[in-house]
Amino acid sequence: MLYYQHLKGVLFSLLICISFVVLGQKKKDNIELQIIPKFGVAHFILGKQYPFNSDSIQLETIKFYISNIELLLDGKVTYKEKNSYHLVDFLDTNSMSISLIKSSNKKFNGIKFNIGIDSIINQSGAFGGDLDPTKGMYWTWQNGYINIKLEGSISNSITDVYSKFEYHLGGYQYPTNTIQQMSFDVKQNSNVDFVLDVEKMIQHIDVEKQPKLMSPSAEAVDFATNFSRAFIAPKLK
Amino acid sequence: MKKIIVFLFCLAIFLSFKITNEKLFYTPKGFPKPVYNFTNNKISKAKVELGRMLFYETQLSRNNTISCANCHLQYSSFTHVDHALSHGIDDRIGKRNSPVLVNLAWQKSFMWDGAINHLDMQALAPISNTSEMDEKIENVVSKLNQNNIYKKYCYKTFKDSNITGELVLKSLSQFMLTFISANSKYDSVMQELTEFTTKEKNGYNLFKQNCASCHTEPLFTNSEFENNGLLVDLKNPDYGRMTLTKNRKDSLKFKVPTLRNIEFSYPYMHDGRFKKLSDVMNHYTNITTQNGLYSQKLSMPIVLSSNEKVDIIAFMLTLTDKNFMFNKRFNYPFKLLKK
Repeated sequence: MLYYQHLKGVLFSLLICISFVVLGQKKKDNIELQIIPKFGVAHFILGKQYPFNSDSIQLETIKFYISNIELLLDGKVTYKEKNSYHLVDFLDTNSMSISLIKSSNKKFNGIKFNIGIDSIINQSGAFGGDLDPTKGMYWTWQNGYINIKLEGSISNSITDVYSKFEYHLGGYQYPTNTIQQMSFDVKQNSNVDFVLDVEKMIQHIDVEKQPKLMSPSAEAVDFATNFSRAFIAPKLK
Repeated sequence: MKKIIVFLFCLAIFLSFKITNEKLFYTPKGFPKPVYNFTNNKISKAKVELGRMLFYETQLSRNNTISCANCHLQYSSFTHVDHALSHGIDDRIGKRNSPVLVNLAWQKSFMWDGAINHLDMQALAPISNTSEMDEKIENVVSKLNQNNIYKKYCYKTFKDSNITGELVLKSLSQFMLTFISANSKYDSVMQELTEFTTKEKNGYNLFKQNCASCHTEPLFTNSEFENNGLLVDLKNPDYGRMTLTKNRKDSLKFKVPTLRNIEFSYPYMHDGRFKKLSDVMNHYTNITTQNGLYSQKLSMPIVLSSNEKVDIIAFMLTLTDKNFMFNKRFNYPFKLLKK
């Protein structure tokens, strides 16, 4: 009897050891999608002033959704993330790396994802987690997620006057669908590091002409397309 | 013998569950399949009750003065009776007439212009509208998370005291989904439990000929957007669905409202311009080409004698469902909101 109890203890600790090993391995196995914010070649920080044409620009909010992540090998899907909706918020560094739990036998050399939320989710009621409407990424007077939110100000170098801008880009229905489909070749079976170049993201904005975008429109579609071009493809080597 | 007793006992429990569930939500006889997808939000007593508390909760508004029930009173089928336009926070006046809340599980879109595509998201609009509740859902959720009544309720029923936006919205949906009105005299007549009077019967026949292409039975709406020939009120210009879709074809189109409980939902139309049903009848018989491009369904003039109009109104009054308007399940939840 005593022997049996002893055995039970041994088995239990063995089980804990094994689970540690397994969990540890799992963590090692995780492929991460990482977003590295840059302003041109410089490191980018929210709230810091950067040169913009002859003036200076300061961003207070950069938030956007990454959704429906897929990993591919030679064009064939090898991994499709379930409930794949991630809110990336530049204020929260944790949100800037997305861990894709993936067993080592799944190979890939390509990645696909969307910037924004698909029309099915936009028409299916309330959701929790990153999709919870309390995240400040949902329009209330008409339905739809805000796919991309950019807020900040430009200060004129001569007059020193601040002009605020607010760009809330959304719309899930044709012809004002702002969702962006992204597809890249990546280094085989390793972490995916994207550089997101804020300078590129904002180079086309004209705050005097258009300080606000708050509803689905052709301008929002153009803006979202320009936003997607600020993702610089990961290095293949 | 023992086995039989156990079996009967189990059966009794099973039946009692079934009966209580049926009471929360059911599809009335003759109704189509609900539009609302229940798989993402299964009806439960716990959530219906939470939704009921939230429906009467003034913390949903910026200064904690306005609840949903301010503009949606049960005794008038959940509309703001006798108010042409919605009346919100700080005595601000909204742009449109508050609609009745009935049979929402069968409704495809919400608001007069269809701006909201899902019942779950509907509550966000009045909460954030500056003339209604003027509050952010983020603040609502944080206020509720500091409110002991809700914390206790959620801990007790969901074993989790954390209140999320999703829980708030889905619970409000559940309470509103239980607003089923299918117990009027009209419904009893359809089930052959009673009969129309001669006037009501004549009114019903005239209604079917002249009104039913838009106000289609049994929901008394075709769920479409139509231009019913109303002239633009220049003091409160409202071009309806066009403002939303930016499509000229949608100019002056509004959602066809249900006629259930119409006796108590006056004043009528999107801006509440008609006080009486007879005004509504006169509008439909007086539409001319002056009124612009109205619905194809109105291209044939509606010709009715004054007696016929009275009969149609007599029929419309058979759509009153007092069982619904006085159902205690929808009252202010004194027990639940007791401090």
